Amino acid sequence: MPVCTRNDVRVSGVPDGRPIVFAHGYGCDQNMWRFMTPDFEVDHRVFTYDHVGFGRSDLSAYDPVKYNSLRGYAADLVEILDELDLTDVVFVGHSVSAMIGLLAYQRAPQRFGAMVMVGPSPRYVDDEATGYAGGFSREQITDLLDSLDANHLGWSTAMAPLIMGNPDRPELSEELTNSFCRTVPDVARQFARVAFLSDNRADLPSLQLPTLVLQCSEDVIAPEQVGHYVHEHVPGSTFHQLAATGHCPNLSAPAETTAAIRSFL
Amino acid sequence: MAVERRRSDARAHLDQLLEDDPADLYENAPCGYLSTLPDGTIVKVNRTFCAWTGLTPEQLLRTKLRDLLSVGGQVFHDTHLAPLLRMQGAVREVALDVVRVDGSLLPCLVNAVEVRDGEGTPLMVRATLFEATARRRYEREILTAHRAAEESRARARTLQQVVIELAVATSVADVATVVVQRARQALSARGVALWLVDEESAPRSSVSLGGPPRPSGPSLVVARSEGLPAGLLEELVTAAGGRMALELAEGLRVLTAGGRMLGTRPELDAALRLAGLTALVIVPVTADSHRLGVLVLGLGPDDGDLISLRDPVDGELPAGDVDLLWTLGRQAGQALERARLHEEATRQAERSAFLLHAARLMAGATGVAETVERLADLAVPRLADLCVLDLVSEHGAERVAARHGDPARQHLVDQLREWAPPAHDLPYPARQALAEGRTQWFPAIDEDWLGTVVRDPAELHAVRAMELTSIVAVPLVAEGRALGVLTLSADRRRGPFTAADVEVAEQLAHQLSLVTAKAQRYEFEVRTSHTLQATLLPPAPPEVPDVSVAVRYLAANRGAEIGGDFYDVAPLVEGHVAIAVGDVVGHDITAAATMGQLRSVYRALLVESPSPSAIIDRLQASWPLLGLQRMATALFASLDLPSGELRVASAGHPPPLLVTASGHAEFLPVRPTRMLGAPPAPAEEWTGVVPPGATLVLFTDGLVESRWSDIDAGLARLLTAATRRPTTDPDELCDRLLGDLAGTHRADDIALLALTRRP
Repeated sequence: MPVCTRNDVRVSGVPDGRPIVFAHGYGCDQNMWRFMTPDFEVDHRVFTYDHVGFGRSDLSAYDPVKYNSLRGYAADLVEILDELDLTDVVFVGHSVSAMIGLLAYQRAPQRFGAMVMVGPSPRYVDDEATGYAGGFSREQITDLLDSLDANHLGWSTAMAPLIMGNPDRPELSEELTNSFCRTVPDVARQFARVAFLSDNRADLPSLQLPTLVLQCSEDVIAPEQVGHYVHEHVPGSTFHQLAATGHCPNLSAPAETTAAIRSFL
Repeated sequence: MAVERRRSDARAHLDQLLEDDPADLYENAPCGYLSTLPDGTIVKVNRTFCAWTGLTPEQLLRTKLRDLLSVGGQVFHDTHLAPLLRMQGAVREVALDVVRVDGSLLPCLVNAVEVRDGEGTPLMVRATLFEATARRRYEREILTAHRAAEESRARARTLQQVVIELAVATSVADVATVVVQRARQALSARGVALWLVDEESAPRSSVSLGGPPRPSGPSLVVARSEGLPAGLLEELVTAAGGRMALELAEGLRVLTAGGRMLGTRPELDAALRLAGLTALVIVPVTADSHRLGVLVLGLGPDDGDLISLRDPVDGELPAGDVDLLWTLGRQAGQALERARLHEEATRQAERSAFLLHAARLMAGATGVAETVERLADLAVPRLADLCVLDLVSEHGAERVAARHGDPARQHLVDQLREWAPPAHDLPYPARQALAEGRTQWFPAIDEDWLGTVVRDPAELHAVRAMELTSIVAVPLVAEGRALGVLTLSADRRRGPFTAADVEVAEQLAHQLSLVTAKAQRYEFEVRTSHTLQATLLPPAPPEVPDVSVAVRYLAANRGAEIGGDFYDVAPLVEGHVAIAVGDVVGHDITAAATMGQLRSVYRALLVESPSPSAIIDRLQASWPLLGLQRMATALFASLDLPSGELRVASAGHPPPLLVTASGHAEFLPVRPTRMLGAPPAPAEEWTGVVPPGATLVLFTDGLVESRWSDIDAGLARLLTAATRRPTTDPDELCDRLLGDLAGTHRADDIALLALTRRP
């Protein structure tokens, strides 16, 4: 199966525009970008995709060993860029995908031209040893991972074939609630573990690209001090504080977010 | 009427309730109502929700819904609920925990809709919250049970798989492979190794263990290992003498890096960390409470490079995993026992076939030399790379075989052979085996030890060049007598001898001892008998004036039998010569001894110069006194040299032949009396003359009797041969007679005496 089918890569915008790739973070799927992509389609080749296990990606490609690390997702991103043969890519990674972009850049730096990190965090768990404050204690992360099990968001094995097997029949998903954030419980659980238990602080200094750190206000997931930490450890990066609150400015304040990216580019 | 009125009152009351104030319905609804701005700020809340949370409306307004939630709820709100509301305008049945004013949690199910204007811009969010304490508890229980069932099913599958695979594993190596691979999978271990107690290193008490000192206690050998780095394996092996043996005795253990139990072994702890492992799990491998070995699993951090939320604790492993590993250890133990029995049975069968083959081959050998050759052919290279055989006798040791399986190394063995005893002592293992009278097993030998036992530098050089790794020296003992030593050696390419090899070597040595002892005894008897006979016969006939004498003695050459034949020529006083030929019944050492005695007694009798018949009479009479066990035939004659007068008496013996100088021959008609040893009867004497130039021929029946012809035919042939050509040379006549009659295959000895009266 072609990589682009596996990850349900969707292309829009102008064919000769600068490629801009949006990667969704922990939570839902590429629909997260629906309010921002129209603006970029005017002068960019816009790519959105789903991580394996989410949205309309190929669930059969899910490998619990490969995806037990962000490097598995980074490898997929590199494969996508290779298959599309993109260079000078503007990579926009939301949440955990900011780190996935960073790891992909380490594997294939020649593909990237600029990096936009939306609400990034290199480590969510506090690290007493170095005084690093990620925003969560170990106990809180444990509670968090436990509580996520309570929400399967309407997933049932009876539904799975319908949802995963009929990407061309959106009316099916109309029947189902919470469809954009639904995935197999086991995949959701493992992705949460990988997202919240990774530590990529040591990787930050390797990023030698024009980089924009977009920091939301009142973001409990990626607090301000974490955004500053990223900015300080990525050489020559730009820090931009958004007025948008919460963790998903791409949904809650798409115009402000778009403007910030455009002004950076 | 009354009934009707009551009915109409009830209806009016219901109507009044249904027309209730919508505000009251909102405030006191059986669910929580919330309205928020698109950013989550609460702008309206009902009394029910306030009561549930213990918060006042004033406290709730202007705060954000998210801030009322538990940490997990906050993250879920921001990553799922809020995005879903934006993307699809509504969410249903989202499970969230609201934190009450007293800090307790209120599990809720939340439904929410986003209210938008005509252009889709969000205006507000309306949410209803239902208390779901019981339902959520129930769900959690189901989830827990589901997970437990999943894990239990996975374990059951693993065990089932293991049982199936072990059932077809027939060798120890197969069993080890299955156990190591399955254990690794079941616990997602980074690496697994299986150590087995080296049963074979425990020798039987009749075998003496030699060589360099070895660690005491059960020695453990790695049967299979996967994924554990060499450094860690080495550390574990180093720990084998003490720690591992202890673990083996104590059962399933979990040792954590930096934990209490590894605190006493900093090297092992360091090796563990270097390998990126967090813990070692040690599982006993047992069969019927008999400890066969130990399975060691190296566990890494739970989630690869993910942050570990919980530090592993000494001795802790999920109960399900502990059960699984115990069962795996027991299954492995039973399978190992089975495989060992199977292997042992196969080995026994091979060994029996080999020993049977060896027994046949050696039994077919004639003589010690051939037996030894056949043994060396068998032992090398089937059993050993080098086979050395030293036989001992009263003269010292003799190296009768030194064979190497590799022709390229035979010259080294030949060098060793050059120092064969008795020039040097036997090499240490053989010497020790002879001294102790029991097998010496050197399972391993090293340079230092070699230096202490070899006799000189040249030997050390040769032994080193052969790369010997293991030696077994077995004394050859039969009938309580040490015959020699069989020494087998293995070189580096073969690997050390096992206890089973030692057993085969012993059995081979036992067979060799029996065959060799028999062959040696046989050869010894043959040699002794012939030596005895040779010493009993006069070495050469004495010089007697006026006669020429020739004697011949031909031993039987078929089989090792010896006869009791004799001849004797003795000059007496006054020109007399006494002549005798005899034949003791039987073909063995007793016959030879009897012949010796008979001849001695006869010589003693000659002192009195008795007549031939008197000799027979006296011998007959004294036979019982002499204690002679065998009967004998004999011919006694006395010749008066000046006159040629001959007197002859026979005790059951073939008649003498007289051959004249002209070539005429005749048997002298001596009437024989009974054999010596038979009841006495008077002997008759024949008297005649031997003319000058005539030859008197005395012989034993070996000359005229054979398996193919009777004595009369033999006598006729003798007569023909004697008359063929005239001669006065007794030597020439003897040679002719033997040439014509003796043949090349003789079953009996021949004594022949020819005496010619000088013409």
